[in-house]
Amino acid sequence: MKKDLLHTPEGVRDIYGRECAEKEQIESKLHDVLNLYGYSDIQTPTFEFFDVFSKEKGSVPSTELFKFFDRYGHTLCLRPDMTPSIARSASKYYDEYSTAVKLCYVENTFVNDSKYYQGRLKENTMAGAELIGDDSIDADAEIVMMTIDCMKAVGLNEFQVELGNVQFFRGLLAEAGISGDDEEELKSLIDEKNLFGVEELLHSHDIGDMITDALIALPTLFGSFDVLKRAEKMTYIPECLAAVKRLKDLYAVLSANGYADHVSFDLGDLSSHAYYTGIILHAFTFGTGEPVINGGRYDRLMGQFGSDRASIGFSVNVDRLLTALQRQKIDIPLERNGILLVYDREDFQAALFSSAHRRAEGIRVCMMRKKSGARLDDYLRVAEEGHYEWIFLCENGKEQRLRVEEIRREEN
Amino acid sequence: MRYLTFALAKGRLARSAMDILEHVGITCEEMKDPDTRKLIFTNEEQHVRFFLAKPSDVPTYVEYGAADIGIVGKDTLLEEKRALYEVYDLGIGRCRMCVAGPRQAAEKLQHHELIRVASKYPNIAKDYFYNKKHQTVEIIKLNGSVELAPIVGLSEVIVDIVETGTTLKENGLEVLEEIVPLSARIVVNQVSMKMENERIMNLIRDIRKYQESQNA
Repeated sequence: MKKDLLHTPEGVRDIYGRECAEKEQIESKLHDVLNLYGYSDIQTPTFEFFDVFSKEKGSVPSTELFKFFDRYGHTLCLRPDMTPSIARSASKYYDEYSTAVKLCYVENTFVNDSKYYQGRLKENTMAGAELIGDDSIDADAEIVMMTIDCMKAVGLNEFQVELGNVQFFRGLLAEAGISGDDEEELKSLIDEKNLFGVEELLHSHDIGDMITDALIALPTLFGSFDVLKRAEKMTYIPECLAAVKRLKDLYAVLSANGYADHVSFDLGDLSSHAYYTGIILHAFTFGTGEPVINGGRYDRLMGQFGSDRASIGFSVNVDRLLTALQRQKIDIPLERNGILLVYDREDFQAALFSSAHRRAEGIRVCMMRKKSGARLDDYLRVAEEGHYEWIFLCENGKEQRLRVEEIRREEN
Repeated sequence: MRYLTFALAKGRLARSAMDILEHVGITCEEMKDPDTRKLIFTNEEQHVRFFLAKPSDVPTYVEYGAADIGIVGKDTLLEEKRALYEVYDLGIGRCRMCVAGPRQAAEKLQHHELIRVASKYPNIAKDYFYNKKHQTVEIIKLNGSVELAPIVGLSEVIVDIVETGTTLKENGLEVLEEIVPLSARIVVNQVSMKMENERIMNLIRDIRKYQESQNA
């Protein structure tokens, strides 16, 4: 037997047994939330033309894509991110709709992370929603509420949903006349909250005091609602004020509907995806060093596919969420149901008959012929992994019924 | 209350950092015992924990959230390029990242000539030569005694940390170009920064206040 064959390549993995059941449970809970808000499912292909994710679209950097060629020489890539795929397909199929379009998905994405992250997952399951063709604050509020509902639905209590607005930064940049390399550097300094770096960079430029102060303060502009009041006082630039006002209005809607508890703000959050143009959001919880949910408004992405429509969306990284739940020791309850029916060879016909009968009633029955040498413990393990409620032993024409939970309790 | 975990880069830096932390009221008696074999030190009252790690591992611990806060040199941060918040410059352990070599090698840095560069910091070296100087170079990764490389002819120049320059001088080498000034930084995990915002920001404010009062 070749042992090498048993390994999976770096960054991908098998999910099986109880973990797989737990993951499906989480996926279905998230999916329920999305469906409850009236989002309909969409499936897009696992790989697309490279151009869908090229630099102008503002998705993942080209070096982190899995690329390959088709037989005509086109460059293809595995989707690293669902949003551009959905923007593309919505531009194609929903172009003539004058109403908003609400789509959701549970799909896998593929990012070829840099070499420093050996063993980090490159294939991740994403559950998310996109609200296309609605630039109102109502749409922003709906997306944030769904995000919070998703976090609650999977049993998380301690979490933060952080809201930002990239327009605030854009407004400052435009007024300061910073662009090109300096813009990139400033962005990365603010992103890593490097106050000193920002100060140093700005003092080498001749920019007005007000903007310099605001840009220097940007890495510290995060926290509770007060942050918005602070930000408002800092600037007179209409674009920035509009950005803050949008967040304030959004917060008012959220508070009025009981969604304010978990919300905080970060105006220095510039987000990883360049396609975001307005409100952005991240959801954090303990147990993972990165956000479990990312999202935001992308009002100009659809236009690149020929159907200019303001849109907003978010996606939950299911694998990361699962890790966070495990590390926080939050139980993912799997309901025990159904029967593991273990039968002797002679009792096959009787077992078949009773199984068929039960299945007709909608009860899950897993039949297993008793193997010589296999003990009750072995079947107990199978029952645990498959979360069966009962083990039925069919021997000598009789059926012995054992409740899995009771056996476990006796053992303890 | 949750424990706030600190990862400190082993050595002199850890001692100076603990000294500063003590002045702002965060103490850890356990750590002062020189014979201790413990790996992690706890202060139960203040709900803080400390551990020492190899400098290059500190950003990793912080990025993955195993430590909320890390104290580590800017050199390590530049080399590792991890996703974390770099929130404060402690101003201790000041030194420079430099290109060094024998005086004759200075000329080789003026043209876009292919030269060999030995360093413990291949990423910093690569970034400097490729993106700042636009010179194609061959980077040779070494793990220690980098000064040896130009002497025995392994490379034309080296990229390394220079504090006083004595080691260089004793080996007939000198600083040819300065890449970036370095000092110790406080880094914070991105999730911890949001979830424990108040505790962490207060701590940084206290440290800043303390250091400003020292310099005043």
